[in-house]
Amino acid sequence: MKKQLMSGNAALGEAAVLSGCTCYFGYPITPQNELTEYMAKRMPEVPGGTFIQSESEIAAINMVLGASVAGARAMTSSSSPGMSLKQEGISYLAADELPAVIINMVRGGPGMGNISPAQSDYLQATRGGGHGDYRTIVLAPSSVQELADAVPVAFDLADSYRNPVIILGDGMLGQMMEPVSFDHIRQEKVYPKDYILTGAKGRPARKIHSLLFDTKLEEEHNWKLFRKYKGMEQNEVRFETFLVDDAEMVVIAYGTSARIAKGAIRRLRQENLKVGLIRPITLWPFPTNIIRETATRVKDFFVFEMSTGQLIEDVRLALEGRGHIHFYGRPGGVIPTPVELFRIVSRHYYQSQQVKK
Amino acid sequence: MYKENTVEDLMRSGHFACPGCGVAIAMRLVLRALGRKTIAVIIPSCASIIAATHPHSALEIPAFHGTFETAAPTAAGISYALKIRGKSDITVVAIAGDGGTFDIGLQSLSGTADRNEHYIYVCLDNEAYMNTGIQASSATPRRAWTITTPAGRSARKKNIMEIMAAHRIPYAATASIGYPQDLMDKVQKAKGIEGTKFLHILTPCATGWRMAENLTVNAAILSVETRIFPLYEVFDGKKYGITYEPQGLPVEEYLKIQGRYRHLDAGQIERMQTETDEEWESLYRHVTDCQRKGAL
Repeated sequence: MKKQLMSGNAALGEAAVLSGCTCYFGYPITPQNELTEYMAKRMPEVPGGTFIQSESEIAAINMVLGASVAGARAMTSSSSPGMSLKQEGISYLAADELPAVIINMVRGGPGMGNISPAQSDYLQATRGGGHGDYRTIVLAPSSVQELADAVPVAFDLADSYRNPVIILGDGMLGQMMEPVSFDHIRQEKVYPKDYILTGAKGRPARKIHSLLFDTKLEEEHNWKLFRKYKGMEQNEVRFETFLVDDAEMVVIAYGTSARIAKGAIRRLRQENLKVGLIRPITLWPFPTNIIRETATRVKDFFVFEMSTGQLIEDVRLALEGRGHIHFYGRPGGVIPTPVELFRIVSRHYYQSQQVKK
Repeated sequence: MYKENTVEDLMRSGHFACPGCGVAIAMRLVLRALGRKTIAVIIPSCASIIAATHPHSALEIPAFHGTFETAAPTAAGISYALKIRGKSDITVVAIAGDGGTFDIGLQSLSGTADRNEHYIYVCLDNEAYMNTGIQASSATPRRAWTITTPAGRSARKKNIMEIMAAHRIPYAATASIGYPQDLMDKVQKAKGIEGTKFLHILTPCATGWRMAENLTVNAAILSVETRIFPLYEVFDGKKYGITYEPQGLPVEEYLKIQGRYRHLDAGQIERMQTETDEEWESLYRHVTDCQRKGAL
């Protein structure tokens, strides 16, 4: 099929439908409303498709939990303040080992903040977000096409690990329109849903629970989850490199800011400044190894994000003191321009060249 | 009937509401009736846009912008602090939309009503999440179009007044921007009562109801005259009284000026009429019961 011009939010909806999502539970919050609107129209066309607009974000995430317990591919979406409300449900999904896809179109915060694009939910998304010892895989696309591509991946990861997966976008990705193709999306793999609750006729009853009063059992459960997360760390790291081979300074940015960084790097290259980009696609598990490997050759790393500095913590942990970290952040819903970043990076670049001399 | 400050406007021009906004009219009237000694709690809703974004404010009174689901407890907290500081002459008013009242805020509203905390709750009901772009709420009437109910909503509008009356709060009333005198009377009545007071104000939305901007007040008047939104008050959850006797115009008069009902056929309009009549009869039974018992 030909490419269609769609908003990022609508593309997420179409990709979810094509990935076999039959249950979508939404609640209004800007800037993700187009997804709810799209699903309200689209879901009735899907065999068995269910669209529910719940009375709160808490209800929506727990409807996802219920649908997931019963074996459906379920999804919900929100934006920053709404994601805060969903955290309890996500913690339960992780504890119960239930697959789910949750989309966060981040906006400026904290508190009510505003409705402009931001990247200030990085730590919430990558550290679990709710209570307890758990992790969620976090995918960070940087275009409308990548949003559509991330959805089937997210559903497959959720099903194969039986764990919630977060797609972390922002208001800009959600609301801008770009050509997008859904041709590659196929629901190929069938997952053995041998844990779901479908009625115990002809088989022993099943129980899904996260309530473990026995501290030894709870400890065992935590170590089991831990081993699962270690497996994700080994197998699910995704990243992109851009002009890193000959780089003397490497920008680290994700999502929208990676896109801005690419524009800036193209300009820097025109000026013969050897700057490259490492772009984490999975924010958790974090692409630690590529950064560590690059640090054997490159000394200057430039972290760029639309927050006061959250991604920088993971870069610091990855480098373990091996490189010098430069930083530029614009919080509060400000979208920096490639020209602005070009100026800042070139200044840092020249300064570090001076130091090297 | 209203006593003080009713001519002083506490809402300046320059707010961010759409042209022909019913919520803006309602806020102006509510604040006029409450007077200058008022603290408002505003939550995400069209009202928060009207109060404008920091550092600007269209309100001449102190306002606090809280979380979506907690207009009621935030107001109750302020009310307790004022009590401790001995400031009994300040009114605390929580201003929320229908989503923040009927849906996400219902739990916390119920909690404060149960404890009968001392504040006024004003629900400015434009019958959908208009601020985020016309998504249905449980205040959206049956068959009304919104972007999340493209074929019309299937469930009926939640009767929030019955829910609040069931809490046996001292005062609950419906009001309409089409009847400003009645609205301000009710606000002042609420101001003089100790405990939780609830005002349900229908605020037609030209943008979301898909109608011309000059029809906001017409729609408000027609909603009352067709008995779709009757004006009444409930004391202590039991004593019902109708404050304006509607003419009982056909509901079609109200429906036909709104684009959100454009898809209705004659049969559906007929059913809307029947449903409206049933609701009205049920309300009227409450009122006549009260009159018979001599409660009012």
